[in-house]
Amino acid sequence: MARESFDKEIQFLRLLALTGGAYSRKQFADRLGISVHTYDKTLRYLKDILSAGQQGLTPEQSAELTAGFRYNHYESADPLLLFLYRAKSLKETESARLALIMAALRKQDLAANDLMELCGRELPADAALPDEKTIRGDLKYLEEVGVVKRIDGKRPYRYRARTELIDQLTDDELIDLYDYTDVLANTQLPSVQGYLLRDTLKKALRARGLGPETTETHVYKYHYHSRILDEAHLYAIHKAIESRRKLTFLYLSPKRGTRYASKNTNPLFETQTTGVTETILPLKVIYDHQYGRWYLVGHNARQGLMKFRMEGLTGLEEGAQVSEEEFAMRLSHAEEKLRHSWVIDTMRSFRVVARFYNPENSSHNFVKARVLAQGQWGEITEETESFFQFEITVNGLTEIKPWLRSFGSSCEVLEPRWLRHEFMAEWKELQAYYEPVREDF
Amino acid sequence: MNPFEKIFNYQIMSRLDETGSFAVSSQERSWLKTMLRHEAAAGAFTQETLSKLERLLTDEEDFRVKDIIMEKGRGEERQVYHPMLRKLRRLIVQGKGVKISVALKHGGSHQQQAGIPCKLEYSMVKREWYLLWYGTRPHALRSTPLRSIESLEEYELSPQQSASAKARLAEVLEKRMRTAVIEVVRAYNSELSRIVSAFSCFDKTVSFDDNTGVYRLRVKHLADESEFLLLKIRFLGLRVRVVEGDYFIRRMMETTSKALMRYQADNEEE
Repeated sequence: MARESFDKEIQFLRLLALTGGAYSRKQFADRLGISVHTYDKTLRYLKDILSAGQQGLTPEQSAELTAGFRYNHYESADPLLLFLYRAKSLKETESARLALIMAALRKQDLAANDLMELCGRELPADAALPDEKTIRGDLKYLEEVGVVKRIDGKRPYRYRARTELIDQLTDDELIDLYDYTDVLANTQLPSVQGYLLRDTLKKALRARGLGPETTETHVYKYHYHSRILDEAHLYAIHKAIESRRKLTFLYLSPKRGTRYASKNTNPLFETQTTGVTETILPLKVIYDHQYGRWYLVGHNARQGLMKFRMEGLTGLEEGAQVSEEEFAMRLSHAEEKLRHSWVIDTMRSFRVVARFYNPENSSHNFVKARVLAQGQWGEITEETESFFQFEITVNGLTEIKPWLRSFGSSCEVLEPRWLRHEFMAEWKELQAYYEPVREDF
Repeated sequence: MNPFEKIFNYQIMSRLDETGSFAVSSQERSWLKTMLRHEAAAGAFTQETLSKLERLLTDEEDFRVKDIIMEKGRGEERQVYHPMLRKLRRLIVQGKGVKISVALKHGGSHQQQAGIPCKLEYSMVKREWYLLWYGTRPHALRSTPLRSIESLEEYELSPQQSASAKARLAEVLEKRMRTAVIEVVRAYNSELSRIVSAFSCFDKTVSFDDNTGVYRLRVKHLADESEFLLLKIRFLGLRVRVVEGDYFIRRMMETTSKALMRYQADNEEE
């Protein structure tokens, strides 16, 4: 898939997943900065992939794309958006040939010539037969991605499928491996490779006659489903960080109305939109568990430390390399700056003091349990029977505020004083949201 | 390393599937190799299987992508695996019944309750595992944290019993479904992305009124998840207002007046 097309599909899927059902075709296309024609085409393409990927699922598990993504996690733990990673376009003949080669190499070790013969026998008669160069190219690619390996020995070299990880396990062991992959892909980062492996293990179990009942025992609640879309950029960023190279990209602030900028060289994209071109030295990525969102942190000579929402990155290109010393200096500076960030804020730090009230009529102190679990590096400094005091030094206040507010009347902010006043004003305003409208008689 | 390899393409996958075959790439093996270092691995496999997997993965590279990620705002990771998972998942598949003793929150325990296990559920918020099961007396769907299960015994069920329990699961869950409608306060439309993200962990649909420019989110949730949804609503503060769902409207009224009382009481002391 061309990069152009890929950026579009990511934005497309995110908008569908987040605001599914909200817009008409025209509104949706406008928001993405694409034409209605492109909208229809992209949707058709995604539907094809989705339906191909859902073979063997029950009707309840199938998702209707146009209605947006609806999740009922009790039905399945399959991440629907994973299909983005399966969308790379491929010629029909190539997919048939590669699948044939991999299946054959799982049964026995074969050389390029054997595989050519096999293709002659097995591929449809009307298809042009691959020449030796094509087969060697396929084997080279499959070896590179670690799907097959070359067996040591005399020429002609023979190859073998690398499925031993599965083939050498008993059914019981394979179930344990499936579960572990399922649990870790769902609970740890990054997860895309884990989900891909999970799919493969599921198919392997099915091939052994262990059907859906075996693989549908675990469910996960409160997942941020679109998080796996942003993992798409993780590898390009990782590669740039590893090689200490700068990255240039077109940044579309998610706060703007339009989410995708087409390049006018592509006649398919009629609407032209602009973003900001940025060049930074990438240092870290941050995952925010509160919203399920990713950020890129980098350094730029003009503006210093910068942070970008990953969903706004398009057209990533690697640039100049910096010295190891410079990279280390920038990284340690960024880490120091981010040490007290609730999420990514690197503004001046404040000491926040809040009083949390223990729940009445309950022997289980769920307020304290939540503060201990989610309060990051903050500390409880004082405790009485009815309340406890929580203190934390944090960069800026905008990021911690929603968390404090989520405790409702169980949390009272003491310091800083102006934050306390802000909370009072906000609760007053919120109260007005819910006041019954008075009717005049 | 790139997750967009053509080897992951859906056409290849479905063709391999037709022949009962599959492909495992080095990316997937690297990921697994690194994930096997998580302490959860010890409880997930027998020692023999774990050694076997480690041996099969010896030559793989480490999955270094993990190193560049900083996680923020994550709840403390209480448990990723629980020692009972392996046993319970097998009992569910085999259609067995269980007799469990559960420690109570307020001390003491419920001895030997019989039931039919249906699903194992992980909460990303509480970061722990729950067993969804039907108690046979009283007949009810229950959710019990694995941490509070003190003992576990299996017993035979007829295939009909276990099948009917699993079939009823969807029905009971549907009955417990509630709906709330949450409106994005128009002044905050520019923060739509943040707002829909916050609710994206629920089953929801969004509607947009072109004339008024108002977004509304219809959130479907289980009755016992109301507290968590309420927390999200408070989290977003002035950005959203509940417009349908009496329970939430009443709770928001309570919260705001109680919160204001706290601040005012203290102000009078000063």
